[in-house]
Amino acid sequence: MKTVSLSTEQAPAISVPLRFFAIAPLFLVLAALIIAIYDTNPFVDAHSPALLAATHCITIGFIGMIMQGAMQQILPVVIGSPMPASRQIAWLTLLPLIAGTLSLSAGFLQGAPALLNLAWVLLGFGFVVFIAASLISLSRAPAKTASKTALLLSVLALTVAVILGTLLARGYATGMQLDYAKLAAAHISLALGGWVTLLIIGVSYQVVPMFQLTPNYPQRLASALPPALFASLLLYLASSWLNAPLLSHIAEGIFWVLAVVFALTTLWLQSRRRRRVADATLSFFRLGMISLLCAALLSAAALLIPSPAPFRTLSVSVFILGFALSVIHGMLYKIVPFLVWFHLFRGGIKKGVPNMKQIIPEVWMWRHLWLHIATLLAALLTSVRVEAIRLFAIGLASEGLLLCFALYTGIAVYRRTLKTCVVSA
Amino acid sequence: MTELDVRGLPPPEPFEQIMHALQLLPADSRLRVLIHREPYPLYEVLGDNGFTWQTSALADGNYSILIGRTA
Repeated sequence: MKTVSLSTEQAPAISVPLRFFAIAPLFLVLAALIIAIYDTNPFVDAHSPALLAATHCITIGFIGMIMQGAMQQILPVVIGSPMPASRQIAWLTLLPLIAGTLSLSAGFLQGAPALLNLAWVLLGFGFVVFIAASLISLSRAPAKTASKTALLLSVLALTVAVILGTLLARGYATGMQLDYAKLAAAHISLALGGWVTLLIIGVSYQVVPMFQLTPNYPQRLASALPPALFASLLLYLASSWLNAPLLSHIAEGIFWVLAVVFALTTLWLQSRRRRRVADATLSFFRLGMISLLCAALLSAAALLIPSPAPFRTLSVSVFILGFALSVIHGMLYKIVPFLVWFHLFRGGIKKGVPNMKQIIPEVWMWRHLWLHIATLLAALLTSVRVEAIRLFAIGLASEGLLLCFALYTGIAVYRRTLKTCVVSA
Repeated sequence: MTELDVRGLPPPEPFEQIMHALQLLPADSRLRVLIHREPYPLYEVLGDNGFTWQTSALADGNYSILIGRTA
């Protein structure tokens, strides 16, 4: 394959991804406040409105927002095709995402149909814009790689998750007769198992070898994993639709086997990295993969025992907090310093560009890692000690604030360097 | 022609080394870079600085990029 002098306008302005990254951690703080004020514990009541509000602050407000910002950056770098009109798309997705998540959380907390109706309209609009822009970018991409397949399938999974989420929110608002348990299970599977997992897989294929200096993922495995995982989710949806519990368990089992294969492969590659120096972002990533293994074990246990509810709750908690959040933190601490460095360099500043390691001091990354582990342990402790929920809330709020501090430090370095160089010029 | 092997180096070292090599490149010469992934962001900077490039995917999974100045 040969490519010759393609378009030169690839990367979006640095403000595009950074505005998503800078706002998202505040939703961790908001989730923590809701948990602390309403004393909500998933092991006491897994369906309380406050828990739904806090969970969506984490999944849409934090994870969704970071992932949307990351996609803006990833598409041009990984597959060589930027989103069209990236600045406009950023505002058209970010603002509805902020307002929609706030409306959804307030709607759940107050049981207010008007807020829930507003939420599904705003979130639906924001996600439709994001999905359409992502699909245009993917369809224009010259690359034909396993990463591109994973990103495409993750966007398709997100599309179904958004449709189901919209239906559920509208149902809660209007009191519509729906099979809420079944729809919610499908919504969670597509959002977490599809959108989040496939996106992390697609990005890991690039980020793990590139930043952690590991060998590449085995090519056949890398190509087969995303379609197989997506197929297991489709099988799960079909079995749920057909009321076939055995088939549904088989589909879930296949999904978790594939997730375990991904986690073990990543850990194996990391064990073969070329530079064996301690690295906080690598440790975040490893914690994420170990958490994914634990979530799989807990889900396997839930499939085998007669009263699976606590194991399912534990599995989802470990998946969201241990897998998704750990990997996102690890990626942010690599990608943000790189973006700051790259945009300073690209802006023509050749002297005075700080070393990438000085942009966000690594000591803060290590502190965040230990805080994150403590928060995760507090979340697990809530399954046996109800009062640990307060500890978890303190940990989660501190994580949000620390991440804000670290990211604003990186942004400040960018602004300061630009200003200094303009002054000296 | 100058050759530069940046395979296996962590970001941003490949980028820094390529830009440094291009600064030293004689006007009528070209630079061949061996790299472990296709560096899409580099293309943007090359275009901004008046370079042309031709990328070939190698059988071993690496890439060869031939960079020259715009005529």
